[in-house]
Amino acid sequence: MSYFALAALELTLLGLLSGVAGTLIVLRQRSFFAVALSHATFPGGVVFAVLGWNLLLGQALFALLLVLLMTLLARIPGQGRQVTSGVVLAFGFALGTLLAGLNPGLGVPVEALLVGSPLSVTEQDVGATAIVLVASLLVILAFGRRILFHTFDPVGFASAGFRSWPVELAVTGVIATAVVVSMPAVGAILGVAVLIAPAAAARALSDRLGWIPALSAAIGVLGGLGGLWLSRELGIAAGGSVGLVLTALFGAALLVRALRRAWHLGRRRTGRGPHPRNFATVEGSRAVREV
Amino acid sequence: MQAVFGSLALGGPSLAVFDPFEIFALPFMWRALVTVVILAIAAGIVGLFISFRELEFVSDGLVHAVFPGLVVGAAVGGTAALLPGAVVAAVLAAVLFTVLERRGGVSADASIAVVLTGLFSLGIVLVSRQEGYVSQLQELLFGSLLTVTDTKLAQVLAVAVVAVAVVLVTWRAQLFRAFDRDGAEAAGFRPLAADLLLGVAVALLVVAGVQALGVLMVIALLTIPLAVSRLLTRKFALLIPIAILVPLLAGAGGLWLSFEWSVGAGAQAPPGAIVVLLLVAAYAVAAVVRGARWAVRR
Repeated sequence: MSYFALAALELTLLGLLSGVAGTLIVLRQRSFFAVALSHATFPGGVVFAVLGWNLLLGQALFALLLVLLMTLLARIPGQGRQVTSGVVLAFGFALGTLLAGLNPGLGVPVEALLVGSPLSVTEQDVGATAIVLVASLLVILAFGRRILFHTFDPVGFASAGFRSWPVELAVTGVIATAVVVSMPAVGAILGVAVLIAPAAAARALSDRLGWIPALSAAIGVLGGLGGLWLSRELGIAAGGSVGLVLTALFGAALLVRALRRAWHLGRRRTGRGPHPRNFATVEGSRAVREV
Repeated sequence: MQAVFGSLALGGPSLAVFDPFEIFALPFMWRALVTVVILAIAAGIVGLFISFRELEFVSDGLVHAVFPGLVVGAAVGGTAALLPGAVVAAVLAAVLFTVLERRGGVSADASIAVVLTGLFSLGIVLVSRQEGYVSQLQELLFGSLLTVTDTKLAQVLAVAVVAVAVVLVTWRAQLFRAFDRDGAEAAGFRPLAADLLLGVAVALLVVAGVQALGVLMVIALLTIPLAVSRLLTRKFALLIPIAILVPLLAGAGGLWLSFEWSVGAGAQAPPGAIVVLLLVAAYAVAAVVRGARWAVRR
């Protein structure tokens, strides 16, 4: 398979994955967690590149380690909620930089680790993405209803006799593995763009929960392939190009939402339009009743 | 791990110890030290409100947003225009993020994440159109504390002074806003103005810090000093002095260590990374102290 076809396949799979993992991140408001996680994979990549082992494995291990560290530090009282993420991120980047600086001759692909290179993904990377995609779909099929219940009404979920930790574990697992397998293609900094941007765009476009995953997957595939094509046509960095196209799609979705809202307001003022329905949100009990 | 720290082991027993005064008498080391002092003071003062208002994620967004500004600045006017370009991008991004944050609601954090990566992508795309892509990218990402020129030092100083001045001038409004939003509004302070000015101050601090620590590690300067001082003390009057002292010590120590390591052991130890690791170490010590105190009290 040519490297271009492989890149296209990888980005298609990641686009589909954004329908599952991205939707979870956006609906459960875990964006900062996802960003921190993707940044934290950088030192792992450097260490394993120096040792000559599998990059993806190193990134996954380090992401796991730093997330554990973050959770542990967050238990110390008297700090803001985001402080530990900031500290752990800084630690990860500094460690990666130091190790890369100390081993100049070993050809640590610093740039590829940070911003990714869709055109140099391997068959193993694509295979890993496919496995994660199938596994997350299975998790959603098995626990989907419970995850939804827990997302929109955690108190009701607990009082209905369910335990929260299996849901938290399933969700964190899906998000973390999705972030890690997106690393080879889009890197530690842009990794979350390919997962969050399509889901956020879908969330802006649709008022129906059932549509968000499908829309997100469609937008993700479109943005990924569009960005890849654009990078070839214009001769620009592929990872950056994908990130930029996805952000543009998100901006377009926000614009569509604003226009539609203005149109509905106009119709309502003239007394013809349907009554606007409140949209599902995580905060507040209002949403729960509407769903 | 031998391979990872390979060059570290080389220096082992033969490491020559240099006199700190001699080292910092070298012009480039002296300029690096002055940069660190400026950044420590600015970070201590502006960082107070990043910590109080929990703006860590927004700061991370600003850091990424400054990147395309640096690239455009470098493309238009070479290294001299790096900082002016970054200032423009930072101020624009500060306004954008303040609006996103205030709009609040469901997708505020997702919006920030998307805008953050989008702006960074823009920087990557712009930089990839230029010659010497990789080396230029690395300098922007990792900073270059040791190649600070007199012009750059003056620029850093100017930007930091403006950032601190913005916070000091709006001090009362910011403090009121941080602790009692509704009260501040009722008392006649305008929260939007306070938010925008704070955003601009943070953005300017980011710009000043990027030169020294690079886009990736400047987040340490924004968050860690105050995190350490809030762990160590509950007295308001001590928060800022500790937050200035910590990066000052970490900065000077990091520079000295990096010099020892690079010259004595012949390794390439990036000074920015060592400074940040020392800051993280200070946080770890503070966390242990706090944890121990907490355990004793219970």
